[in-house]
Amino acid sequence: MNNQPKSDIQIRRFSKAFVWAHAVNAISFFALYITALPMYTDFFNWLYPVLGGPANARLLHRIFAVLFCTPTFIYLIFDRKGFFRWMKELVTWKKRDLQFFTEFVKELFGFKFKHIRQTFFNAGEKINSLIQIFCAILVIVSGFTMWFPEYFPRAVVQWGYFLHNVGFGLGIAVIVGHVYLSVVHKHSRPGYSGVITGKVPAWWAKSHYADWYDEEVKKGNFPDLDDPQHKKGA
Amino acid sequence: MTKYVKYVDVTKCDGCRACMVACKNWNDLPAEHTDFLGSAQSHPKVTADTWNVLQYIEHENGKGDLEYLFRHSSCFHCTEAACEKVCPEDAISHTKFGTVVIDQDKCVGCGYCVQNCPFEVISLKEYKDKNGKTYRKSQKCTMCTDRIEEGLQPACVTTCHTGAMEFGEKEAMIKKAEQRVKEIKDRYPNARVYNPQGVGGTHTIYVLAEKPSVYGLPENPKVPTSAILWKDYAQPIGKAMIGATTMAVVGAFVTNKFFSKRAEKAEQEDGGESHE
Repeated sequence: MNNQPKSDIQIRRFSKAFVWAHAVNAISFFALYITALPMYTDFFNWLYPVLGGPANARLLHRIFAVLFCTPTFIYLIFDRKGFFRWMKELVTWKKRDLQFFTEFVKELFGFKFKHIRQTFFNAGEKINSLIQIFCAILVIVSGFTMWFPEYFPRAVVQWGYFLHNVGFGLGIAVIVGHVYLSVVHKHSRPGYSGVITGKVPAWWAKSHYADWYDEEVKKGNFPDLDDPQHKKGA
Repeated sequence: MTKYVKYVDVTKCDGCRACMVACKNWNDLPAEHTDFLGSAQSHPKVTADTWNVLQYIEHENGKGDLEYLFRHSSCFHCTEAACEKVCPEDAISHTKFGTVVIDQDKCVGCGYCVQNCPFEVISLKEYKDKNGKTYRKSQKCTMCTDRIEEGLQPACVTTCHTGAMEFGEKEAMIKKAEQRVKEIKDRYPNARVYNPQGVGGTHTIYVLAEKPSVYGLPENPKVPTSAILWKDYAQPIGKAMIGATTMAVVGAFVTNKFFSKRAEKAEQEDGGESHE
């Protein structure tokens, strides 16, 4: 892509707690989706024998349902600071967040674009977080009414089915974009290894999350990449 | 195809429970032990093994009289059946006679029908397979569709000795019910035909002596609004959404491949600035 020499310095972006919380969330989300997929569309009915029959699929769905409830607590307990920074960023919206989206659309389809300075999470990640939090609440709350209908009024159980469908329907649609951007899309791919190892290339962090990077430089946590000693071959 | 209706005139019922026995007998359903309920009624309501239950209701009619009301209760075989709507496996369907039946091979035992039936007449039954693992299937009255196919009437109707039940063509049965209500209005001022239109009419219709609520029936049953929003809106829109985002990322992938060469060139020209 680029002929300019890049520093290969890695910096820590995500705490171990975040990496674990994200992984548990991702694995349980897809496991939940797959174990219920034959109920969503008959096209996937062949999954029943694969999953050991409908009764077994239901059991697996419930095991992963419990797992799906844990990431929030993993993150909150083992990285309180990170969790509250996430929460704070989610409610902080400025002009640069709107500018991000116009540039993002250009970038997504491969047109020329410019980076808008972002904090720890960019506006797209914040939207993704907000939607996934909303969907997770819908799915978990309605999941309880579906799992334990005997403890809820009939109408609540009936609305639970609808809300469960809305929750995972919206969730998966957004996840498709989220996974594409990290695994396939070339400009954001370092984010994928980042969310697994917790570390990302410094140059990438600086260009994608300029405000956060500069702040950490000021605190003395990250190297100043503009300093000639960090340039490759310098 | 002619639609058939089971007509139940509760005012002619003498509470003999032969319909319950005939049902168990024909459908080969096991007996269920129940506790004494404080009345002559044997079971609180229909279950997966008891597809019809005779209700015994002690009702004060407001004139100081105590009415002893009976009602043969079982599946209503709704024209717009909520159970059929919410079934994720298309296991529930209407037969050509208008009856609603569950395909036991397709049923996965999820219980969505149980929770969405406006009359609460469907139940799950637990079975054990040969490895000792439990699985569940939905069960309810079939209106003896297997008998109807052979030109017979439902077992409960055949056995009824007071003529409280009849089975016949829909229009004729509705007419009969309306006629009967006129006859009994003096004795039962609240008498009415129960053939609720909120579910498009039913294939078991009643001549009730009292308001539906006296029998524990919903006054205006309908397919739950949540079920309509779920099955007619949330599900198709959800599928369209995942289709749309998938198309968007496929489009992004293609245009990126297409533009990447041009972009590379341009970048080199304007000084090699990268947006990675």
